[in-house]
Amino acid sequence: MKMLTAIISGVILAATATTAAAQSAADRAVEAAKQFAGSEISIVWEAGLQSLDPLNFSGPRWEELTGIKVKVIEVPTSEMFTKILQEHRAGTGAYDALNVIPSWMPDLVNAGALEVLDPYVDKYGYRSELDSILATYRDNQMKVDGKIYGFPDDGDLFILYYRKDLFEDATNMAEFKAKHGYDIGPPQTWEEYADIGQFFTDKFAPELYGAGQFRQPAYGIWLFEERFRNTGGRFFDPDTMRATINDSAGVATFEGMRNDNAFMPPGVESWGFVEALSSFLLGDIAMTISWPPFGRWAAGYGTDDDALSWVPKTTIAGKVGYALPPGGSPQLAAGFSLSVSSSSPNKEAAYLFIQWLNSEEISLQRVQLPYALRDPFRESHFTDPEYLSRWDDAPAYLQTLREGADAGLLDLSILQIDKYEEVLRQATSRLWAGEEVQTILDDAAAQWDALTDRIGVDKQRAAYSDWAAKPNAYPK
Amino acid sequence: MSILASDGGSRLSRFSDRNFKYLVVAPAILILLLFGIFPLIYTLLVSFQNINMMETDTSFSGLLQYRLLFSDARLWQSLGHTLLIAAIALPIELIAGLLMAILFLERLPGRQLFVSLLVLPTMIAPIVAGATWRLLFDNRFGPINQVLGWITGEPQAILWTIKPDYVYPAILIAEVWQWTPFMFLILLAAMSNVDSSLTEAAEIDGASPLRIFRRIVLPAIWPVMTIALLIRGLDLFRLFDVVWALTQGGPGTMTETISIYAYIQGFRQFETSYTAAIAFLVIIMLTVSVMFALKRMEFVR
Repeated sequence: MKMLTAIISGVILAATATTAAAQSAADRAVEAAKQFAGSEISIVWEAGLQSLDPLNFSGPRWEELTGIKVKVIEVPTSEMFTKILQEHRAGTGAYDALNVIPSWMPDLVNAGALEVLDPYVDKYGYRSELDSILATYRDNQMKVDGKIYGFPDDGDLFILYYRKDLFEDATNMAEFKAKHGYDIGPPQTWEEYADIGQFFTDKFAPELYGAGQFRQPAYGIWLFEERFRNTGGRFFDPDTMRATINDSAGVATFEGMRNDNAFMPPGVESWGFVEALSSFLLGDIAMTISWPPFGRWAAGYGTDDDALSWVPKTTIAGKVGYALPPGGSPQLAAGFSLSVSSSSPNKEAAYLFIQWLNSEEISLQRVQLPYALRDPFRESHFTDPEYLSRWDDAPAYLQTLREGADAGLLDLSILQIDKYEEVLRQATSRLWAGEEVQTILDDAAAQWDALTDRIGVDKQRAAYSDWAAKPNAYPK
Repeated sequence: MSILASDGGSRLSRFSDRNFKYLVVAPAILILLLFGIFPLIYTLLVSFQNINMMETDTSFSGLLQYRLLFSDARLWQSLGHTLLIAAIALPIELIAGLLMAILFLERLPGRQLFVSLLVLPTMIAPIVAGATWRLLFDNRFGPINQVLGWITGEPQAILWTIKPDYVYPAILIAEVWQWTPFMFLILLAAMSNVDSSLTEAAEIDGASPLRIFRRIVLPAIWPVMTIALLIRGLDLFRLFDVVWALTQGGPGTMTETISIYAYIQGFRQFETSYTAAIAFLVIIMLTVSVMFALKRMEFVR
């Protein structure tokens, strides 16, 4: 009898363990979160379209599953870092969960604003699911000093979108080859980008220009960082920590950016996200370099949604090709990681919410929300049959994003990074104002040096060495 | 005991009678000190510490922040930009306001309506005014370039908020548009109160309109005009919203005012103690300027 009892008990235990193991990270988060039913957690999210995810989809669903209300605090990207740090300094406990741009993470960790997530990850069995986040994001945008402070939640990167109908037109192909001696195709180098851009502008302007891109200073940091590194540039001399952004690669980068404006629409210097998007969707430009949503909306995916009523109806669906930007190593521009505020009074509930959001199961749904701006970041996102069938060219789109993620370049992330970025933003605006390139970059390098001296050369060298040692810091 | 008590009571009563006025204003003074002076003292205190993004060092750090002020070229440039804008905008606002006030002194048809419409810009929040002008100056969709295009006969794509030749005119246009009505309103009120018998007598004596204005109207409105200039001068010294909305201080730092620089240092870069030192520098400069101006204008008397 005892033997039988032992066997039955063993079977029951084994079955329970199997069930627990089979339970997904999302389910575990939901089950554990039910103990906090009736409470409310807040989450800082980028204002605008990004926030529609927690407002329309994930927030209400989480409340339905767990009874926990989600208060979404919308903050413009440019103010997120400031607000997070201010609230932390003031100790208000106003924020529970956070969206954090990964390059800010070292600064926020140094300021003590982020909660270490490792104990929660182990407690709620999330470690194995973290492994299916692409290595580029997982290895570079999750930890500081070996500890987890955020879950990479957005596969941001810049890719090149081009009008394949124009590129594959027989007349254009013949004329381009006659003029430049090589076949027209997605540009591999910045020189080819300029050749193609100028070719289309010469032929079609003002109805269509060769290219158009973001030019506002806020985007300058990413534009410069991407092209500079693809041109062979390095940000610092690792021994002396003197800035080297004013070397020949820096000058070539800035001069190239300015020269490219010649084949872009007049006034491109003032372009931001919306200007570039609308021009591309309306068929006014042949090429652009931008984040992944451009590709989805150009194909017409989800643009009937009310939230996207401001997006011009695409006139180029089915005519768009996808490629990595010239140089082949795209900027992993911005991105978001999900974190928990160290001053939150609801850390456990906040953690469970971000585990659920970031989980394999829920994130797969979130990256396909037509109105949200989350982009694929897990292996399964790129291979999901449903996503692959969203539009005819979706497989090519996802494949380009996947290649871009592997080859992508991390945003520079060192101590007090926003101060260094501020210098680049100013340099970009001076570039469009027409100042001499070498002067702008010499000034910028001098300001970087002054910042490094003030922060401490040794401290900054250590931070830079850590960052530069990452496989995606510079092109392979 | 009762004599003592009575003596003490009468002394208290005498004290109360003598100092009643002070007792009445004491709560107001205390509140003023608490809300007016305390932040100043706190700012001063923080400026002698070393609080920034990375550390909260509240120990006394001497004149560290003030020494940095003097070697910070960007700070002095931003001060220069602020003074430049003030030096151009203030006279324009004064002259335009004065001319409008003179015009509206006459009983024009629809005067009330026009005055109300002209004053509208001052009721708009400066950041909204800046954003509106940004749209108006937009190189693609803004009506200003379109109108210029009609006039010149070819499309215009002037980058008002980007190119160095245009950023200051753009800022000044927005600033003057918003605040000239303020000057106009105050001067109109002042001029309406000028004794008309004096101006009529001067007219009968054959004085020219310019002479009447210089000898009768101007002295009469001088005190009000001085206050209006002082208010606008202080406002321009703190100029932030319109410039932020139009250029964010760019290109580079070409239009960065001292308020924008202080905002960037304090709220973007978290140089808390350094920003406190900037704030105190500004307070000292403004206090000295105002006292000097008042003394020059014999206002203290």
